[in-house]
Amino acid sequence: MIFNQISDMINMGLVVIDEDLKVHFWNRWMALHSGIEPEKIVGQNLFDFFPNLNDPKFLRNCRSVFAFGNFAFFSQKLHRYLFPFLPAYSDKARFDYMQQSCTMGPIRDEEKNIRYIFLSVNDVTEVVNYEEQLIEMNRKDVLTGIFNRRFFAQKIQEEFVRSRRHNRPLSLIMIDIDHFKLINDRYGHQVGDEALKAFSTRVLKRIRKTDVFARYGGEEFACLLPETSGSSALVLAQDLCRIIAEENWICRDVKLQMTISIGIAERQPDMADSDALLKKADDALYEAKSGRNQAILYD
Amino acid sequence: MADVQFSNLEKDILQELMNIGFGQAAADLAQVIDLSIELSVPDIQLFKASDLRDHIANEVDSETEFSLVEQYFLGKFKGIALLVFPAKAGKQLVSLFGLQDQRNAPSERLELLEKEAMIEVGNILIGACVGKITELLNDVVIYSPPRVMIQDVCNSTLPKNLFDPDSMAISMKTVFHFEQQEISGQLFLIANHESISWLKTALHAFMEQYE
Repeated sequence: MIFNQISDMINMGLVVIDEDLKVHFWNRWMALHSGIEPEKIVGQNLFDFFPNLNDPKFLRNCRSVFAFGNFAFFSQKLHRYLFPFLPAYSDKARFDYMQQSCTMGPIRDEEKNIRYIFLSVNDVTEVVNYEEQLIEMNRKDVLTGIFNRRFFAQKIQEEFVRSRRHNRPLSLIMIDIDHFKLINDRYGHQVGDEALKAFSTRVLKRIRKTDVFARYGGEEFACLLPETSGSSALVLAQDLCRIIAEENWICRDVKLQMTISIGIAERQPDMADSDALLKKADDALYEAKSGRNQAILYD
Repeated sequence: MADVQFSNLEKDILQELMNIGFGQAAADLAQVIDLSIELSVPDIQLFKASDLRDHIANEVDSETEFSLVEQYFLGKFKGIALLVFPAKAGKQLVSLFGLQDQRNAPSERLELLEKEAMIEVGNILIGACVGKITELLNDVVIYSPPRVMIQDVCNSTLPKNLFDPDSMAISMKTVFHFEQQEISGQLFLIANHESISWLKTALHAFMEQYE
């Protein structure tokens, strides 16, 4: 009696199923979040109500729990959820479904034979929400919303190693907005900030999803181009120079002209690490800046 | 302190029991979840809990990087299971378990899949081996969620809440090998001091069935 009350009061889902996957117990939490009352589901096959569970991994775990009496853990990280419930709190819904961490284990009779298995369901939506926000904050530049330098530093190392391992091309472009300081000095930082945002948005439109575009410093940006040769990167860079120069920028009612200088480098077999690639792109950028509004490929 | 010395006879019984248990575990794994696995004859050793590091360092190749799956089991038989894989095994396990082909997934997602594959295989393998042994000894255990670590195995220590560093622990080691894939690793079942006394009693009870 006590345990029946507890199982209906605890803030987690509890389900008991038998070897034929028929539901034997469905606590109030499950009823609340699924909208399915116990009377309706008890005695029925779980898959009739939740066909998404009918996958090899879920079945493998059911079989192993019945055979070995072990526990199975369905982490939110891999599964997101087992039961497609709506998030309990609707504010700022990042997720379409409640994120769950679930456990499955054996229930034995007096002879220690496994008769049933239980499933417990924990709502971890809020925690995951915070976690994802933190991860994002850690990766993104506050002003422009593109990647920050920290994330870029990590990606360039990974991509460098990957490109070397698979012997695939990798290029890097470094972008500097010409005379950006003048915009700040003449129109104030708010206009300058708007310009940086607008510029980032425009570049994002031109590059691929797999390219890693980051704010490297004040008005300096870097873009990592996997699977791209230096000559293709040069084409992109020249295109970017043209797009940015031709655009009529209006930031906070101020009309602006912007041009950019770009330095490009492609990974070479003799480069020891990603720092060497960065150095070459930086050198090329230095050269490009001497003339401005141009892209230079390091050779 | 209870006598924790194992007589040769007791060691033989335990060895035999583990042979039976692991044999059943391997057969069931093949039958239940289609996982063909070979488990070597177990090796049993007693050592001081604080010496775990040295104990494991002796057993593994310290040059290689390892992934470690760790899971507690709690019954009368109580302790920790450590599954040691070469670090590169994660990738092979992902394909063994038919986890989605995500070659183009972001690297952090792939890393996650590898970890999850190791956790999954660890959970099942540990559950099967511990489950069969405890079943033969008429005990029932529960398990903590497995954790996976990619690190230097030699940094492992035993959790103090289960293992008094000054007391003895018993380690049962087996080498496992997946037949579908060229993956091998080691499984250590390390039971704490309390379990040793219980184990001795349970082993004698186990023998009595045959006497």
